[in-house]
Amino acid sequence: MAITLSINEKQTTFNAPDDKPLLWALREDANLVGTKFGCGIALCGACTVHVDGVPIRSCVTPISSVAGKNVTTIEGITAKASGGLNAVQQAWIEHQVPQCGYCQSGFVMAATALIEKNAAPTDKDIDEAISNLCRCGTYPAMRAAIKRAAVIHAALKQGAK
Amino acid sequence: MAEMKVVAPKKRFSKTRRGLLIGAGVIGGSLAIGTTLAWRRVANGQQFMLPADAAKGETSFNAWLKIAPDSTITVAVPRQDMGQGIYTMLAMLVAEELDADWSKVAVVQAPIGAVYGNITALADGAPAALRSVMVTVSKVLGLQATGGSTSTRDAWLPMRAAAASARAMLLAATATKWSVPATELTIEKSIIKHAKSGKSAAFGEFAKDAAALAPPSNVTPKPQSEWKLLGTSPKRLDVVEKTTGTAQFGIDVRPEGLLYAAVKHIPFAKGELQDVRWKNGKAPTDVLHQVRGKDWFAVIATSFWSASKALEAVTLIGGGKDATVLSSAEITARYNDILSGKNEGVIHGTKPIRRAFASKGDAKKIIATVPASQRIEAAYSVPLLAHATMEPMNATARIKDGKVDVWGGTQAPTIVQWLAASAANVDSENVTVHTPYLGGGFGRRFDMEPVRQALACAKVTGGKPVQVIWSREEDVKHDAYRPAVSCKFTATLNEAGAIGAWHHQMVGPSVTKDVIGRFNPLLAGDDPPDKTNCEGAAGVPYESAIAHFQLDHAQVDLPVPIGYWRSVGHSFNAFFVESFVDEIAFAMKKDPYLLRLELLKKEPRFIKVLDAAASAAQWSQPLAPSVAGGKVGRGIAIAESFKSIVAQVVDVEIIDKQIKVRRVVSAVDCGFALHPDNVKAQISSAAIYGLTAALKGKITLKDGQVEQGNFNDYPLMSLAECPQFETVIVNSGEALGGIGEVGLPPVAPALANAIFAATGKRLRDLPFVLG
Repeated sequence: MAITLSINEKQTTFNAPDDKPLLWALREDANLVGTKFGCGIALCGACTVHVDGVPIRSCVTPISSVAGKNVTTIEGITAKASGGLNAVQQAWIEHQVPQCGYCQSGFVMAATALIEKNAAPTDKDIDEAISNLCRCGTYPAMRAAIKRAAVIHAALKQGAK
Repeated sequence: MAEMKVVAPKKRFSKTRRGLLIGAGVIGGSLAIGTTLAWRRVANGQQFMLPADAAKGETSFNAWLKIAPDSTITVAVPRQDMGQGIYTMLAMLVAEELDADWSKVAVVQAPIGAVYGNITALADGAPAALRSVMVTVSKVLGLQATGGSTSTRDAWLPMRAAAASARAMLLAATATKWSVPATELTIEKSIIKHAKSGKSAAFGEFAKDAAALAPPSNVTPKPQSEWKLLGTSPKRLDVVEKTTGTAQFGIDVRPEGLLYAAVKHIPFAKGELQDVRWKNGKAPTDVLHQVRGKDWFAVIATSFWSASKALEAVTLIGGGKDATVLSSAEITARYNDILSGKNEGVIHGTKPIRRAFASKGDAKKIIATVPASQRIEAAYSVPLLAHATMEPMNATARIKDGKVDVWGGTQAPTIVQWLAASAANVDSENVTVHTPYLGGGFGRRFDMEPVRQALACAKVTGGKPVQVIWSREEDVKHDAYRPAVSCKFTATLNEAGAIGAWHHQMVGPSVTKDVIGRFNPLLAGDDPPDKTNCEGAAGVPYESAIAHFQLDHAQVDLPVPIGYWRSVGHSFNAFFVESFVDEIAFAMKKDPYLLRLELLKKEPRFIKVLDAAASAAQWSQPLAPSVAGGKVGRGIAIAESFKSIVAQVVDVEIIDKQIKVRRVVSAVDCGFALHPDNVKAQISSAAIYGLTAALKGKITLKDGQVEQGNFNDYPLMSLAECPQFETVIVNSGEALGGIGEVGLPPVAPALANAIFAATGKRLRDLPFVLG
């Protein structure tokens, strides 16, 4: 059945079963493969995207439940950022966070949502907000990068004013 | 640092092996092994040219590098990047020799070719029959492909020599053009300069002329004193694409007309598929094809989602002689029988093979003379573990018009090529193996099952490509696991109060035998003995201080697939040995750090690393108390693996039986840290992998079926649980060691020792549970 939603600011119509997870609609139908399949049960966060600005696990989100909503993927935040990298991505590169890289899209999405609502996340804020899993153990660099991203984000916002 | 000189054959395409001897030195001057082989790879590297895009004006110098008109240097990397940063590391070897501008260095995955790997070199001479090829594989497995923390060590000579050769050719061509002596030329960031005349030119300008020259007969890679890039930490080449979601993994490939297959295995860890039963008697209409394998069943559809949904309606009946109804408790009981000598310890119909892996002096005899009350004894165990790479297992294949394409993250692309050639009955040259990034490897991606399945599926789709994806549950339930191993130690003290005798008895399966057996069961022999069983238990640095040292091993066959898992035998042997040394220290009433210093008296390299960790961790300073009213403790451990030495000090806080790791301080001697930041990242990466195993990891069998299936029952350490890390690099100047796995072995025993220091409770079984 036809379901229309906005993906990265573009109206997109899917002819997919109602219960097809958004993850697979993105990966198979929209060819947006930056969002990853990791566990299928909303535990690892590799599939994190934003729905109306809120991070969600797309592997358990039926596409019918996001009809008419605004979905943003890793491709979307990259395209939207001035210079092609948002604050989190800049900090990620500065701190050389990724190793194998597979889980990183999900982390970047989760961290982006965090710093957009929390200008100076504490360690506790980070622990509570970021429940994604990384098997390479990039966590130490990631924690530093999230704090740095908040600083970059604040500076970008200041500059935009 | 000793000079390395490579003497090349005079004629460019000479097939002769004249002048193969090279005087090769590595850092610190110790002589490298395998230099003849290293040279052969340089020589072959001048016969086999890295494919260059003529339309872009690229010029290939040898197998290892090409230069574009804009001076971009593209380095062929013959290993897979699975997170360890090898693309960056190997490119650095080339960039250093060329004094290249790092911002203009790129990498390309090397094609499959003899020059890039020893497996291929040996297999080239083998007939097409799979068995012969697999014999070759069995002989060299573990040394080849991407694994064993070997990549940099393996590339060290040939890639630097290849770059030094290109450098000499660039200088020679420039000298001719400018009519100046080559010796007056210098290179700075990919610009060739002649100081006297003030002339300068970028690499791209004379690359074509340079590549047309005969390679030099002598090249001498730079001495360490002239390094500018090695030893620094340039940004990794893969980080931007891995941050923007554009890095391509196997699961992301989208060849035209792609179909998807979902796979289900029989419930047993091993065995055969006997029947496929659909809930409604037949497959749903969106299933395009059904494919049956030895122990698996796949359905193909236009979407992975619909294929995996269809599989929910199917029940697989499995059985056969390899299937078992054993449970983990029974296997543990058999292990204990073997260790106690109670009975033979038959597991699934097979008896253990008993061997001594170390035998010095008369340990057993001496122990027998000491009353049991005066012996120090302890028994330890580790469970089966899954790898849980974040990218679930997958492979994509297309068989069309006599050509085969296989896409997928693999640690052994050459084997993929052979499997594809064999499956489609074509020659290897008609097979193209595309290797995108690996979403984690850790040994998991030596497993070829997804590749075999993708090839089987691609045979029935009329030339359309098929992507096989395993669900997380299939991945966890049908991994090739880190083996479950148990052991028992007995030690006695001599009159001087030192360790007089050490007897270590182990029981566990052979990883190598099982891995080879999955390539070809006929080759799964028990000889030669698998040294990975005892790596880290034999050849421990304390042996020089213990006159009577015995290591006995009972090799069993388990009814589950066993595979290479990050640091392999070291992953459990360091836990056993370093926990037991701590127990001896307690029995002696000695500080565990000081006892290790005593035992390592004849091992100065180890002492340096141990001291570095203890000093950085402020070993003798008290820990900050627990604000939550818990207990705190500090533990230490040291282990050598893959030619590197790592010592770790772990600080732990215990609150209501909850184990919280506060801090891990590591010291590492890998000879020389070529990219210090990446060395540190790999140490913490491997330590977190090891902490996950120490605190959480456990795969169990019930009635022959794996009980765990996803991150709910096979959890991973999270960001919130991750401790602080500090890593000190000790550059000893010894031969290069590996780095991708070496941070793992000491972390579990250092944690066990810290828990003991905090609570007085000795935890001897992984994962740790405080009762």
